[in-house]
Amino acid sequence: MSKKRYKVLMILGVIGLIIGSWGMGSRLIFGHTAVNYGSYVPWGLWVVFYLFFVGLTAGAFLITIMTYMFRVERLKPIGRLSAFTVLVALVCELIFISLDLGHMERLYRFLITPNFTSMMTWFVVFTTLMLIIYLLESFFLLREDLIRLSQAEQVKAKKIYHLLALGKTGYTEADRERDKTRVRRLSIISLPAGLLFYGTNGAFFAILQNRPIWNSAMTPLLFIVAALLSGGALITALIYVFHEDEELVKPMGQVILYLLAIFLLLEVLLFFVGYQSKVTGIVTSLNLIVFGRQWWTFWIIHLFFGTLIPLILLIKYGDAPRAVAWACFLIVVTFVTVRFNFLIPDLAIYKLDGLEYTFFHRRLRTHYIPSLVEWLVSLWIISFGLIAFLAGSRWLPIHSSAKEEGKQGPTTWFNILNSISPDSEKGEKEHA
Amino acid sequence: MGQPLPKEDLLIRMQRDLKKALTKNPNKISWAMVIDLAKCVGCHACTIGCVAENKLPPGVVYRPVLEEEVGTYPNVRRRFLPRPCMHCMNPPCVKVCPVKATYKTEQGVTVINYKRCIGCRYCLVACPYAARTSDFGEWYTQKTPDLPGKLLGRKQAASGYENKPAAEYGKTWPDRGHGSPVGNARKCHFCLHRLAVGMLPMCVTTCIGRATFFGDRNDPEALISEQLASPRSYRLKEELGTQPSVVYLK
Repeated sequence: MSKKRYKVLMILGVIGLIIGSWGMGSRLIFGHTAVNYGSYVPWGLWVVFYLFFVGLTAGAFLITIMTYMFRVERLKPIGRLSAFTVLVALVCELIFISLDLGHMERLYRFLITPNFTSMMTWFVVFTTLMLIIYLLESFFLLREDLIRLSQAEQVKAKKIYHLLALGKTGYTEADRERDKTRVRRLSIISLPAGLLFYGTNGAFFAILQNRPIWNSAMTPLLFIVAALLSGGALITALIYVFHEDEELVKPMGQVILYLLAIFLLLEVLLFFVGYQSKVTGIVTSLNLIVFGRQWWTFWIIHLFFGTLIPLILLIKYGDAPRAVAWACFLIVVTFVTVRFNFLIPDLAIYKLDGLEYTFFHRRLRTHYIPSLVEWLVSLWIISFGLIAFLAGSRWLPIHSSAKEEGKQGPTTWFNILNSISPDSEKGEKEHA
Repeated sequence: MGQPLPKEDLLIRMQRDLKKALTKNPNKISWAMVIDLAKCVGCHACTIGCVAENKLPPGVVYRPVLEEEVGTYPNVRRRFLPRPCMHCMNPPCVKVCPVKATYKTEQGVTVINYKRCIGCRYCLVACPYAARTSDFGEWYTQKTPDLPGKLLGRKQAASGYENKPAAEYGKTWPDRGHGSPVGNARKCHFCLHRLAVGMLPMCVTTCIGRATFFGDRNDPEALISEQLASPRSYRLKEELGTQPSVVYLK
């Protein structure tokens, strides 16, 4: 990434953080009084973004599958980038869902009185497992360079790197081999863990028998495909921006194209089966997506910008990395509306006839539009994630490419590593 | 002629049944409610009584009365359906609670441990009857003009009603800041705090048409058992298999 682009994104992140602080302060001081969701639509924008970030974590999962199941050795160099992306996305996801809780200070209850009949408990278990796996994987992938940075004379924050390397000062060939094995084992564990993680996320909704669209065996599968699509698209866009590796972007584009086609097929099935069932609740819910007040999020944002244009770009210009990156970027940013249209319309129907004509209060309505505070808090968390990612990309050795050399400032990890050892890149590639 | 006039108010009989039940081993009690829709006039006294009894804040309601207009003119009528928590024997809300904050008591009442609830609202989503509402921490007196030091004003109004502790679950919940029950899921609990001292639930007491019956269904001589045996009885969304403890009479 060029220094200019980095600066622009960093400034945008800081501005977002400053503006979002107003909403964050409001949430922390006044609680849930300024949110627009209520008792009939109990989850709102923060849960939408939570689902969105859950999906984004699937990028590394996709890389793992392709590298270790389909033996696509070409993807190994992006292991660090994808593992770090998962970490940032998981942290953002956890902030979103914590702020959505009425009593986030009681999160420890998951440890003391867990209820294993609840899908939420299992989701917390698998989220924690994923967090541990990717923390360890990132650590073992970066350890060698962290140690070298902690030893380098020209590095100012040597102590921080020393701390991140957990005090280790030397790194032998045996260490390298051990870390390589550990990364491989962690990647293999992450396969079932990831499938359970994304599947549980879908089952979380699918088990609710009174919910018209969610209550389907297809929901967990839809969640897995949706996660792979959005996460894979994010990683592809990041490979283009950070690695500028055209040969890697093209096959990734093909994978995204197939995933987009599968996702579309599942979506068509969802609508077809739903409308054919003629069950009032299901039809009402689907009508809310297609003809409701937020119809434009489905037709314009999701189908036009998030599906049609990426499809054209991927099919017609699949050989052009820039076009592939743009297609992936569009898929990622528009995927929020997919999550929105999955979550809100299903909640936005009254469960009993006559409920809408009794006890009027804004919390007892099914019409939901996110409040300003909800948007500002979301802006804060996204800006935080952006800054964390940019800072990580600048100060941590999370990606490797010869093309990066000289593009970044003199204090970045890459130039330092290069100045320490001329064959650092080689070692890094071997390690990855 | 129809049925003979009752010799005593139904409330008196239910009160007697309640006192009898309370002398039993608590494990042998199974509380149930019957709502006779033919008697309900849609006065909403139960809703208001419940709000007052449990000091419910804005947007929190345990027992709304659902209203529906059916038929076409001139054959139109209004239909009323009071909807408390169904206290299901197979409750979806208990299964989904991730921290065991909601559970069933030995007497079959579904309760919430406010101090344990994390406020995830998964139970609200899972309940097929929309019987749960979330306390978002709002005040009725939020926009009341404040005149400090005068007789009338927000502080006085608040201290007169909203600051008074609710007695839910036999405890006092005076905090209307960030502490529970603010941020929690809330629902009807069959007025357990009233039952503990031998009083019927507020909605039963306030029902002007004597349409709501309450008692121990394990007592075959109790009025509730007579009502449960009615051929008019049915349960809401029976097909879901939740087995509600609240039964309606058509």
